[in-house]
Amino acid sequence: MKKYLKPIPRRKFLKTGITGGAIIATLPVWKLFSFSAPPSDFHVNPAVNLSKETLEKLIKIALQHGGEFAEVYVEYSVGNQIFLEENKIYGAGRGVDMGVGIRVLHGEKTGYAYSDDLSFEKLKQTAEVASHIAAEKEVKEPVGLKSSKIPSYYLVKVSPDSIVPQDKAKLLWKANSIGREYDKKINQVNVSFSDTNKKIIIANSDGIWVEDVQTLSRFLVSINVIKGDKRSRGYAYKDGTLGYEHYDLKVAEEIAKDACRMAIAMLPAESAPAGEYPIVMAKGHCGTFFHEAIGHSLESDGIRKKTSCFWDKKGKEIASKISSLADDGTVLGARGSINVDDEGTPSQNTILIDKGKCVDFLNDRLNAKLMKAKLTGNGRRESYQHYPLPRMTNTYLLAGEDDPEDILKSVKKGIYVARIGGGNVNWVTGRFVFSVPEGYLIEDGKITKPLKGIQLMGSGPEVLKNIVMVGPDLEILGGGTCGKDGQGKPVSDGNPTLKVSKITIGGAKV
Amino acid sequence: MNNKLLAENIVKKVLKLGADEAEVYLENNREFELTVRNGDVETIKQATSKGLGLMVFKEKKLGFSYTSDFSDESIEEFAKRTVQLSLVADPKPWNGLPDFKKGKIKDFDLYDSSIAEIPNEKKIKIAKEVEKIALAYDKRITKSEGGYFRDSERETILVNSKGISYSSKRTGIYFGADVVAGEGSEMQSGGWSSSKRHFKDLDTIENVAKEAGKRAVEKLGAKPVPTQKAPVVFDRYAARAFWAGILFAMNGDSVYKKTTFLTEHLDKHIASELITIIDDPTIPRHVASLPFDGEGNITRKNVLIDKGILKMFIYDTITARKAGVKVNTIASRYGYRSPASARFLNVVVQNGNVDREKIVSGIKNGFYVKGLRGIGTDIPTGNYSCGSSGFWIKDGEIAFPVDGVTLGGNVLDMLKNIEVLANDIDLRGSLNSPSFKITEMAVGGKK
Ligand SMILES: [Zn+2]
Repeated sequence: MKKYLKPIPRRKFLKTGITGGAIIATLPVWKLFSFSAPPSDFHVNPAVNLSKETLEKLIKIALQHGGEFAEVYVEYSVGNQIFLEENKIYGAGRGVDMGVGIRVLHGEKTGYAYSDDLSFEKLKQTAEVASHIAAEKEVKEPVGLKSSKIPSYYLVKVSPDSIVPQDKAKLLWKANSIGREYDKKINQVNVSFSDTNKKIIIANSDGIWVEDVQTLSRFLVSINVIKGDKRSRGYAYKDGTLGYEHYDLKVAEEIAKDACRMAIAMLPAESAPAGEYPIVMAKGHCGTFFHEAIGHSLESDGIRKKTSCFWDKKGKEIASKISSLADDGTVLGARGSINVDDEGTPSQNTILIDKGKCVDFLNDRLNAKLMKAKLTGNGRRESYQHYPLPRMTNTYLLAGEDDPEDILKSVKKGIYVARIGGGNVNWVTGRFVFSVPEGYLIEDGKITKPLKGIQLMGSGPEVLKNIVMVGPDLEILGGGTCGKDGQGKPVSDGNPTLKVSKITIGGAKV
Repeated sequence: MNNKLLAENIVKKVLKLGADEAEVYLENNREFELTVRNGDVETIKQATSKGLGLMVFKEKKLGFSYTSDFSDESIEEFAKRTVQLSLVADPKPWNGLPDFKKGKIKDFDLYDSSIAEIPNEKKIKIAKEVEKIALAYDKRITKSEGGYFRDSERETILVNSKGISYSSKRTGIYFGADVVAGEGSEMQSGGWSSSKRHFKDLDTIENVAKEAGKRAVEKLGAKPVPTQKAPVVFDRYAARAFWAGILFAMNGDSVYKKTTFLTEHLDKHIASELITIIDDPTIPRHVASLPFDGEGNITRKNVLIDKGILKMFIYDTITARKAGVKVNTIASRYGYRSPASARFLNVVVQNGNVDREKIVSGIKNGFYVKGLRGIGTDIPTGNYSCGSSGFWIKDGEIAFPVDGVTLGGNVLDMLKNIEVLANDIDLRGSLNSPSFKITEMAVGGKK
């Protein structure tokens, strides 16, 4: 599949990131890109375009009891989905979410209220409810709003919302016929295309006033195979902050073939051996591991509350010397990319681990203020119904210098993780479990047979120290929805080929 | 406009626009959420919100939309668009609304009008107190992730073109604490809560707080054990994740598509005779009880597994018609943003008759599972592999905490090897089970 990394200057950065680390991270990479206009064919309900005067009034009301900071977040979001199964278009769906969230910060306190009724009377009430988190005599005067322009990291020319479902259906049919022809053992082909198109407006008492149109699209194929009493699954997708111009019949064919390949490959899989083994992670598809097992513990809420396993590790070695980790909201077209976060802070690339050393955390406004740290553009929320939390965007392990072939050859007996699946992590202890939907046995440096039921287990801090080889072939292919405190948020992740010297494999065999 | 009237009007509107059948599911919510940390209020969130989902069938084609924008013009446009959307789908003979058994919905006493009257000061006091007691539970508890209090009120309305027009109101109330225990560089988290429909039914602050504290401290020093075969006891709360996997595997659509390992097992012995599982959303005041399900059927009890025999799969109406099975449908709704789909409502694994302590005291060398990381079950194959934590049992007693081990096996073997069922069920959520012992399983840890 295609990479959604930026063109040359970006790749160069990723490579030099290993040696240049934090210095390069401060370069204004985004200046390479234009201030592109949002797709004009996404129709927004004009009711959400609150005037400057209205926003300023609401901020003032929100501060009436002496709060230190107030913010208005306006959202209009349209989601579309079309789904094919059992050789039929199952149905098409559409949804509209619209509302305003008003937040007041006061010391460590947050007051939050929201409304899906955009009449001024209702919004005024909402601001009043939020204002009560403070009870001071002195009232702060908000700074007048100044609109600011932001660079764009999305690859959207044609809004998917403007495409009629009949056209999207053609992609689904293409993938379905590829799947049905691929192999007789294929029993089920499910295909979907979904997109969300969201306009947000953020205004706050520091005078920040920005808006953004965020487009997400996703084409997903999943395959089920049955032969006798053996069953297996395969899936593949293309997704990102991508316009409809990135999808065509050829893409549909590629994705469908990849899903079929995986399902058929996994059919003869045997139960995985249990015990401690070295593992090799395939490039691109294993970044979820770093997102879940490491990234969450570097979000600043757990750091401030001292409940993350890394809370006291800034400036300290937490990983092997060849390991560097970044969270980068500016990867062109990637699913986790944002022009601004949901607090109006411009997106950026943050090096979290630099050659093994913990150098930074991911901040939202509240935690940055309380910890006297700088904003990193990671204040994100699911919708107007939620207040922001420090959240990741696109998280990846940076490229290294080991030859991917040498990495494989170095393993006598181990596990090749072609794709990492769902995981479960305790962010306090760092302990994790991940399933591996596509994995193979490595024997004498070669991939031999497919394995099922692989569970990777261990603790994030332990694994970081055991990363012993890293390839140069970084790709950012992971894409999903990260959940935290009940809020879902689109993210992406990536990794180069790498080796972990030992990890516990939980399998059915003893 | 009254919400029920609005729902009824939308159904009429889309029928006029050419739909053959239509259903509106509408929600009206109020929520209050409060967190405290280290004795201070951290967040207060409150709001009301609403939304509706519209499903239409035209010539056996399905269209679905939702919106939270109830203005007249928007609703007009929304109705038109949904009918148009249905034209994109392919016709399926099984599409359409359920055939309803008419009747009156029952009142399960799910609404506590006193909750709206609780002053914020009292809520703050509860959240502060539960955190304080949890922190004081043990010297080794050093950090707090916070105490919390939430309450909510939800009105749900379901109206369709087959004459169903139901509404129901329910309240929810919830409090608890999460704390962290530490020793040296080790940290362990523990939390507990109480969640009820009525304020009066809540557990005491003291009980909830102490359980949260205990759950953090008891894990300190947890370590893996060597890989081996051993008897395994699933604690009643940990057991819920295990049953969740089996319930997913009982999904009617997966059976139809032959993508679940249970496909061929209807009316067969799949579990030990000790096991009877009932879906029962009719328990008065219970958090998972409902007067009507996601499709508008009046809720009822259904026996899923009877003395080890698999009696039924879980189908929604459309899937049951497609599969050609006559069965009581069980459909739930995740909110107004999606149509109803087959899912259990309130599963109760029937209680056994042995004290939990007695089960433990009968084990010489075994594993007591207190935490499971995920459901563990691979639905297509029935392979079971799950990260786990808990305690090692030595000579009939809890000896030391364990973490970083996997349980491995096959779900059908596990179910058949349920040897003892405890009498300790606690009806806390939508999935409830007593503790039980499995004769032997693979416990994977250190080499
Ligand atoms: Zn996550």
